[in-house]
Amino acid sequence: MIALTVNGEDRSVDVPDDMPLLWVLRDIIGLTGTKFGCGIAQCGACTVQLDGQPVRSCVLPVASVGTRHVTTVEAIGATPSGKKVQQAWLDLEVIQCGYCQSGQIMSASALLERNPDPSDGDIDAAMSGNICRCGTYTRIRAAIKQAAKA
Amino acid sequence: MKRLVRIILAVVVVIAVGVAIFLFKPAPLPDVSEAAAKLPTGQALIDRGEYLTRAADCVACHTTSGGTPYAGGLAFKLPFGTVYSPNITADKETGIGDWSDAEFVRALHQGIDNKGRNLYPAFSYASYARMTTEDALAIKAYLFSLPPVHAEAPKNDLSFPFNQRYVLRFWNLLFVPNGPLPQDEKQSAEWNRGAYLTEAMAHCGECHTPRNLFYALDNSKKFAGAELQGWKAYNISSDKTTGIGSWSDEQLIDYLSKGHAEGRGSATGSMGEAVDYSLRHLTPEDIKAIVTYVKTVPPQTSGDKAIVEAEPPATLKASTAYAPAADAAAQGGLGLKLFQGACASCHGWNGEGLQTPYAALRGSRTVNDPDGTNLIQVILKGAHMTTPLGKQSMPAFANAYSDVEIAALGNYVLAHFGGKQSAITPADVAKARTQ
Repeated sequence: MIALTVNGEDRSVDVPDDMPLLWVLRDIIGLTGTKFGCGIAQCGACTVQLDGQPVRSCVLPVASVGTRHVTTVEAIGATPSGKKVQQAWLDLEVIQCGYCQSGQIMSASALLERNPDPSDGDIDAAMSGNICRCGTYTRIRAAIKQAAKA
Repeated sequence: MKRLVRIILAVVVVIAVGVAIFLFKPAPLPDVSEAAAKLPTGQALIDRGEYLTRAADCVACHTTSGGTPYAGGLAFKLPFGTVYSPNITADKETGIGDWSDAEFVRALHQGIDNKGRNLYPAFSYASYARMTTEDALAIKAYLFSLPPVHAEAPKNDLSFPFNQRYVLRFWNLLFVPNGPLPQDEKQSAEWNRGAYLTEAMAHCGECHTPRNLFYALDNSKKFAGAELQGWKAYNISSDKTTGIGSWSDEQLIDYLSKGHAEGRGSATGSMGEAVDYSLRHLTPEDIKAIVTYVKTVPPQTSGDKAIVEAEPPATLKASTAYAPAADAAAQGGLGLKLFQGACASCHGWNGEGLQTPYAALRGSRTVNDPDGTNLIQVILKGAHMTTPLGKQSMPAFANAYSDVEIAALGNYVLAHFGGKQSAITPADVAKARTQ
């Protein structure tokens, strides 16, 4: 059994040590807001936060999470920056198909948490690993800037 | 005059007959009964054999990518052609199922197969020659305990005269040691165990020691580093600048047993395989013994420029985990853009590794080598390893990016993480793709 703290709740899961965290979240715990995209940490759709830092859950063996707190898109609205990001996302209607957006929101809220006033360069560095096939990048950038001012 | 001609002729004939006997006389078989009597039997023998088979890393060469372990068929591209590793499962037709104990020991010690033919030294018998007969027999017992696999290895493709196996008898005479590694009474038991594991089992020198004109290990430059099949096997002598002389014991132990050491990066390529298949299965005592021995190998200064400076480059110090220094980000460039999109989410910008410590690049020789040899290979082929933190892997980017893109990425990574000026060209990447 592996002990995890997910969105503030203590969980105990009976899974192999090297099962990716994404599998545990979606298939074992049932939190399906986090998406499977590429499976090789190249698209960012599976981004969740460990102690507030963004990680790619598709390649993260669950045993390596340890005592760090897992936050998924289901609970990010409860954090100050997550709340601002989600509101800006709604205000600017960032989302098109939506598949990548839970990952985008997790990366964007982590960015604002550590850098309340990011430059374009900071946004590029933090967000380039999250790709969007609908091409909503300009709205994502605008929404991050709006959230920063909120 | 006639008499002189006759004498010369006679001498020539005697020499020719002598050489012919040397080349074609059937090779005698060793007597292994004394060693066999000292071994345990049953499962105890098989267990010992399993440990030693791992220590000797037989699986790395005798298995194709994704193939059945020990069924052979892996290609070795040498300057004079390609040889394929044979099937060493106990299959009677295509493997070694018919081999006697003595034949197996002779193969490991002298590079001669069950039919008396010479084997090619791509099989590291010049190292295994140092193995005790007991250990060789235990390895055979383990291999024979596994299910036989029917698999014919492809035929070797070697040019003349290298396809004439008997020529290797000269090579063996010159370059293959006789008998197990002698104990050095002046050294500790731990050192002697380490020497045995390093030389006779792990055969580190087969990759890390340069080869001479005859493609034999040049032990006057022991562990000075070499290049093979498009990868560098770095200098692992005790030289402080170009070797491992400045590594701490803890770093060496971690690197060998876990494939990663804080401040030294992670093992990839063939070294990653050596850790994954072999070294991580060894006991902590054996790993420590190897470290004790390797540290005493005399320093060899090599010309290799893969040198890690004690002080990390300014570009690295000015970066955070999530962003490069502001001026570097503003400069942009193709390499930075690619790193930003494809690499930064796991590796991070400050060299500490974001996703996992295995992704930490700071201090790795691979990001400090201006030739970019291993860096390009890792980007093209990716890496994977079983670790105490679960399976770690990096995807292969060969099909994702062009030669121009990978060259730009390589140059950027070397500048950012190593502070090194490099000039990797798209042609270098194209060449690496074929190796």
